[in-house]
Amino acid sequence: MTYQSRMTATLAASALALSASLAAAEEAPITIVINQSPWFPGFQAVVEAYEDETGNTVELDVNPFAGSLEKQRTAVRADESPFDILIMNAGFFVEFYTGGFIAPLQEIDASFELSDDIYTFDDSTCWNAEAKTITCDGGDLLSVPVNPNVLILHYRQDLYDEAGLSVPKTWDELYENAKTLQTDRRYGISQRGQRGTFDVTYDVFPYIWSHGGGIVDQQDDGSFQVSINSEGTLAGMETYLKLANDVGHPSTAGQTQTNVIQNMATGRAAHINSVPAPGLFDDESKSMVVGQVAYAPPPGTAEIPSATPLGHWLAGVPKNISDDNKQAALAFLSWFQTDAAQRAYAEAGSMPVSRAVLESEMADQPEYRWMKAMAEALPNARLTFTFPEATQVLAITELRLNQAIGGEMPLKEALNTAAEEITKVMQDAGYDIPAPELLQ
Amino acid sequence: MKTDTFWRHATLWPALVLFALLTILPLIKLLALSFHDVEWINREAVWDWVGLANYARLPQDNLLRAGALNTLIFAVVAVALQMLIGFILALLTTRVVRGRVFYRTVFILPILVPGIIIGAIWKLMYSYDFGVLNSLLLWLGLAPQDWLGNPDLALLSVIVVDVWHWTPFCFLLLLAGLESLPDDIFEAAKIDGASRWQQLRHITLPLMLPTIAVTFVFRMILAFKVFDEIYLLTGGGPGTSTEVISFTIYRRFFTEDQTGYGAAMSIAVIAVIAAGIIAATRATAGKGAKA
Amino acid sequence: MTHATDTHTALTAPRRRRFTASERQVSVIRHLVLMSFALVVLFPFFWIVSAAFKTQIDLLMGKVLFTPNLDGFLDVIFDKTSDFARNFANSMVIGLISTFLVLVIATLAAFSLYRLQWPAWVLHSLLGWSVIFHMVPPITLAGAWFTMFRSVGLDNSYTGIILAHTTLHLPMALWMMGVFVRDVPKELVEAAQIDGAKVPQILWHVVLPIVRPGLAATGILTFIFSWNEFPVVLVLSQRQTATVPLGIGKYAQENTIAFTEMAAASTLSILPAFLLLLFAQRFIVRGLTSGAVK
Repeated sequence: MTYQSRMTATLAASALALSASLAAAEEAPITIVINQSPWFPGFQAVVEAYEDETGNTVELDVNPFAGSLEKQRTAVRADESPFDILIMNAGFFVEFYTGGFIAPLQEIDASFELSDDIYTFDDSTCWNAEAKTITCDGGDLLSVPVNPNVLILHYRQDLYDEAGLSVPKTWDELYENAKTLQTDRRYGISQRGQRGTFDVTYDVFPYIWSHGGGIVDQQDDGSFQVSINSEGTLAGMETYLKLANDVGHPSTAGQTQTNVIQNMATGRAAHINSVPAPGLFDDESKSMVVGQVAYAPPPGTAEIPSATPLGHWLAGVPKNISDDNKQAALAFLSWFQTDAAQRAYAEAGSMPVSRAVLESEMADQPEYRWMKAMAEALPNARLTFTFPEATQVLAITELRLNQAIGGEMPLKEALNTAAEEITKVMQDAGYDIPAPELLQ
Repeated sequence: MKTDTFWRHATLWPALVLFALLTILPLIKLLALSFHDVEWINREAVWDWVGLANYARLPQDNLLRAGALNTLIFAVVAVALQMLIGFILALLTTRVVRGRVFYRTVFILPILVPGIIIGAIWKLMYSYDFGVLNSLLLWLGLAPQDWLGNPDLALLSVIVVDVWHWTPFCFLLLLAGLESLPDDIFEAAKIDGASRWQQLRHITLPLMLPTIAVTFVFRMILAFKVFDEIYLLTGGGPGTSTEVISFTIYRRFFTEDQTGYGAAMSIAVIAVIAAGIIAATRATAGKGAKA
Repeated sequence: MTHATDTHTALTAPRRRRFTASERQVSVIRHLVLMSFALVVLFPFFWIVSAAFKTQIDLLMGKVLFTPNLDGFLDVIFDKTSDFARNFANSMVIGLISTFLVLVIATLAAFSLYRLQWPAWVLHSLLGWSVIFHMVPPITLAGAWFTMFRSVGLDNSYTGIILAHTTLHLPMALWMMGVFVRDVPKELVEAAQIDGAKVPQILWHVVLPIVRPGLAATGILTFIFSWNEFPVVLVLSQRQTATVPLGIGKYAQENTIAFTEMAAASTLSILPAFLLLLFAQRFIVRGLTSGAVK
């Protein structure tokens, strides 16, 4: 975070604080475990505003992204958790729900409700412990969303204007646009093909979903089906590879999200699909393309519109803390979902989780131009993994998809291998899943 | 000779207790864990006895296979290069008087820097689009290389970082060894008409053997445990081309939370290392010079 | 190889003799080689220090000429979440205390093993286990340590991390101190014992003076390894006990690597080591190398 943007954040926070009278602390001090991220500064500013306004104390335990999950896991398994609020990622929250680690918010305070303005992101805030499904219909409210990470398409408005292009609705249109804008010094698109914790798998979701494919799908009856070796996934991956090979980065298999964002910031890429880091591209100390990046939902196909994967973050309260701390944690979450807090959050450079704010007059201001794309993409956003073994499945997909992209393994073979390996993991975990029908 | 029994025990026990509590005890725990699958239900850990099933999975684990192979390649190639370059440089610089403080300061520097920083520095230097190395190649009119993203090149790039990091260390140790060799032997050899190559082959190398061995063992042990540098550089990718054993264990045990399986993997690695060390000790036992 | 053998010409040459032309040539070549090696070693350091003064975009664009700014440093030092000062203090505390413990425990054990007539099997099994443990990637035991420490209330405590670091570096220390302790003549120890000296007196008056260079060497290495150690603190520490490598690792974020901050933090964390080097260089070199050569 630059000095400048920190100043903005602080200003936003103090403005908010001024609007309320300074109150004495009513709640016990709490600790929030969170990972370092581009949206963290905004969260920090909101926390500071909360402290100023209420006099309560909130400690932030900031971790490298890679260690964050492990930290939370060990905390909830201890006799008493050192953390009062866990910031859980969309890829992993089911593990915490399934393990019974998260306190239902209405058990802490029966009158607590999730504000109607706050997105539930495919009901991911709720869990039906008996049916073991993610649903607010008969499920308990377990968390409050704190950040709506989804992939959205970033494109260069200035280049679009110059070439007279229109915003792509399908991958084919994106391909054509990318081809037009590709030069010796600029990639048509930069994709995130590197193997990581949840890197390449996250990047391919819009492609495979919009071709009717998937990785592991949950059926209406709650059972699971491995779909990574479906025709839809194959078609989606072929589209992904076509973009990568013809108009993409020469080293797609080596690109992390960091690289992808850097490519956009330095003007080396005409398009990227990325979770928005809104402040970054308009910050002169970090970007060569200030004011030139525009946003849209990811493309789809003629048959299936854009579908973007949820990579959002949820705040849950662990069961293994004192009642006072639970109350204090809930007090913060109640406050966090207010309109004022959500606006301050956006003003400090993060993405709010409030529909009201995303669709407010703020979205008309140039600096918040990403809001419209977000609001448009979110209705089609989907959960990626809805079972606790997600980390094991991810280890497989990250490797196999990366190998397919890097040319280490033919695509069909990679998808078939992944399907077999995933089936094995799921069967070992006790799911009733048939052997996959391999692609020929 | 009467030895004070109390003090004999009192001097050794701190080490024994520490080893027992922090190495043997966790090992026993790991061993127990390795025969189970652990699942968390309602905040309770449920241990399911699975017998040897976790061990049976090991040979089929493609990450483990790649990790073991890469670790071996990494350790052998990196350490060999470090020893070779270090030794050549050391031979070149014995008895350099002017500037030795400067040189030594410079050569110690990399050792003092946390591996995580080394990883970060080199990650940027290797960057395909902005890295110094590719800028240099372009300036020379050559095609840029995908140092960390090309599966054929990635492990080599990681090895280069390790060579940069640790060659100075080898150099310092070997130089100290060279400088401690007695001058008169070389004088005598010269009088006997030994060529320079003969001097190196028949005097320098044999005399340097203990130093070489110590440096080699020291480096091999560290190379075998490599984690921090790769953590930031490649995270084990692309594919499995830079996956190393520490990483595989970290991934299986921590990230994927397969504690039973991860424990089995740890036990297997420890067993292989123990067997290797015992075999190596047996093999060299006759040759004396035991540490 | 010709240069290499020239070395011995220089070696055998009487010191006061004047350099011949060919010797001067060799000396120039020698310095050229050393200088290029030094440049290769130094380049990344120049680079990271300059990166600390750049903006992120200047860094990414690979700008050679840039307007220096201190944002990176300001963030690292003053930002509320940066914790760098605390990380620094933690690294110091953990490094110093674990180094002290390692030196005491290793010296006592080495002395005991080599000079106090333990049966051979004790010596061999302890050293054997020590070597095996030293070869094992620390990550294999870190998980078990975490659970153990937590069950006795030592999770996220200095004590836990210090104990872990002490154990991690004990094998190396045991090995190095063993080399030095074996320099202590058996006869000297025996004579002292006959004179009625107790073990503590022997340690203090006989052993310590002889192994002092060894203590310095082992201590320096132990401290460096503790200061740099990453995987174990990653597992064992939380915010209050996080060390410098962890603080730096944090700048590798989910979506971006905050290179400027990372470079600034790295520069700051190299600085003390660099100062130490400038003032105590000779001492450190002797320390580092004496383990291998003595």
